[in-house]
Amino acid sequence: MAVNKNMRILVVDDFQTMRRIVINLLKQLGFGNVTEAGDGQQALDKVKNEQIDLIISDWNMPNMTGIEFLRGIRADERNKAIPFIMVTAEGKKENVIAAVQAGVNNYIVKPFNAATLKEKMIKVIGEF
Amino acid sequence: MTKDQKENFQAHLDRLASSKEEMVPISEVRQIIDAVRDMFEGNFQGEDLSMLGELGELARAINRARKELREFSPQALNDEHLPNASEQLDTIIKTTEQATGKIMDNCERLGGIHERLKERIAGSEIAASDPDLLASLDDAVSESQAYITEIFEACNFQDLTGQRIQKIVKTLREVERQVLRMVIVFGLNKEKGKSLDSETKEKMMNDAELLNGPALPGQSMEQEDIDDILDKLL
Repeated sequence: MAVNKNMRILVVDDFQTMRRIVINLLKQLGFGNVTEAGDGQQALDKVKNEQIDLIISDWNMPNMTGIEFLRGIRADERNKAIPFIMVTAEGKKENVIAAVQAGVNNYIVKPFNAATLKEKMIKVIGEF
Repeated sequence: MTKDQKENFQAHLDRLASSKEEMVPISEVRQIIDAVRDMFEGNFQGEDLSMLGELGELARAINRARKELREFSPQALNDEHLPNASEQLDTIIKTTEQATGKIMDNCERLGGIHERLKERIAGSEIAASDPDLLASLDDAVSESQAYITEIFEACNFQDLTGQRIQKIVKTLREVERQVLRMVIVFGLNKEKGKSLDSETKEKMMNDAELLNGPALPGQSMEQEDIDDILDKLL
């Protein structure tokens, strides 16, 4: 089934610069229906209040980290199927394992480019 | 403790051990207790202190580096000396963030121009009369757009340099804290041979604890390594 390029994507990062980078790269890939959040708690609220089809989240954030946000998402039966990509500078093996155990669908290490983002998105949501 | 003092101390102990007297004079017991206490309190002298001197020099070198960092403040960034190194590093992060923001603002404007150009070209007479020229213009706009994407990708540096600067500061603080703790434990004092009293040590130790330690050190992996793990786990 073809990927709907109008899917709602949630970009989570405490760094506004990073959110802009990801949003612009998504735009280059043809995905313009994007919403954003500055930490895990804000993101969790967004997921509760609107239909989200894909989450791209940073790990290190104040208030609620990416892994805590991921666990919060997966704790709710209704959100278990939302594809979740973790984007982070933390390349530690134990972090990757923890993220996988928490239910992450893929993992991108910074710095990354549009090609890597596309490759990971394809693995998670299918070819586009 | 000097070599002579060690030899005297050892001779003292040997003499007591070989003594046939059942009672040891209280003055001798005091001498032994004083010697042992001096060792525990870090009353080092002579060659022992030369090693500790190296440690002290290391602590001073780190402190000097921190002061120099604190005092370095380019006029363009700030007219006043920044009060501490972490604020200065925060300023670096903010300055690069602002610059990155401007770069991205302009990239977005260029993206808007590209969109308008494409619309104008598609709606012009050229589109109907000269398809080759139309394709060529379209390719040029797409190529230009690809460069904009690369600029966005390159802006990753701002986030990463910020995180790395923070880690360096934490590591520097931890090294300083550890060296400081060692200096305090050994009771190193400017006045050779004079140990620090316990109250001073405690106060210094508390000050040293105020320096924050870094997060647990860990070996970072590359994307390929991460992918390998993911392939095994997912």
